[in-house]
Amino acid sequence: MARPAAVARSPIPAFGSTDVVAGWEVSQTSRTSQGATLELIDCMPLTKVLVRGAASGAVADLLKTPFGRASRTLSGVLTTACRPEEWTLYAVPGSAPRLIDKVTKRVPAGELVTLLDITHGRTLVRLTGSRGPDVLCKLCGIDLSDAVTPTGAALRTSVARLTVELVRDDRNGVCSYLMSCDRSYGDYFFGALLDAGTEFAIEPQGFVLPGI
Amino acid sequence: MILIPCPNCGPRNASEFRYVGESIARPDPNSATQEQWRAYLYERVNPSGWTTESWFHRAGCGRYFKIERDTNSNEVRAVRLEPAAATKGES
Repeated sequence: MARPAAVARSPIPAFGSTDVVAGWEVSQTSRTSQGATLELIDCMPLTKVLVRGAASGAVADLLKTPFGRASRTLSGVLTTACRPEEWTLYAVPGSAPRLIDKVTKRVPAGELVTLLDITHGRTLVRLTGSRGPDVLCKLCGIDLSDAVTPTGAALRTSVARLTVELVRDDRNGVCSYLMSCDRSYGDYFFGALLDAGTEFAIEPQGFVLPGI
Repeated sequence: MILIPCPNCGPRNASEFRYVGESIARPDPNSATQEQWRAYLYERVNPSGWTTESWFHRAGCGRYFKIERDTNSNEVRAVRLEPAAATKGES
């Protein structure tokens, strides 16, 4: 069967052979049967929608995610609030129009809300593994202990000298961080994380649906 | 390293912030003399001791706020957000 044409690429260069997922050219996963203990996944294809609105408005009521937290109040959507009166929605690839429509319908006339599809403007990676905090400790100054940044914590800080949205989003009880930065820094950011994780046997992985 | 206590995000490394400058009252542009306006734009007290200054959390919450800082020891004793109209910074 002919391979479908890719319409978008990640700023992170492909490592190994590539595949097309939801219109995105992604690196193929190369997991061993036992699975790596520390993985860095290129999650660029995930939909990202920026929402800005009043902290006491209809959008805040809909998203139910206070500043500094991440939650899954909308079905299949990870909502993060890394800045006051601003949210980022992460969902499966290609769902931006549906998400924007869903939020727009809940906003009453006269309330100012900004909705922007930033899927192609932000690089998104996921660092999963129990040694994840050890990798990030080399690159940022945040206290990553469970007491200070438990799962569901969302913040914006400097990682590898870049402004990065950092979200603790554990998967199946395993420590996991979702991180996004400006698209143009994606290659550098991915490389910096791999470099910092070398001593912990980090492995780069490709994107697999649903990914969120 | 200077630790700046952001009113939104908590204590962070000063490298995450942009130093805006000493907090100076803005004169009324309709009635200020040229000397008053020049002093507002260019003259700073630069004290050795406690001063009130504005900072911008560029790598964090993106808000402007004021702190009282001792320029000798970098001790910070009071922090408050700027008035609502000025608190929303660059993206």
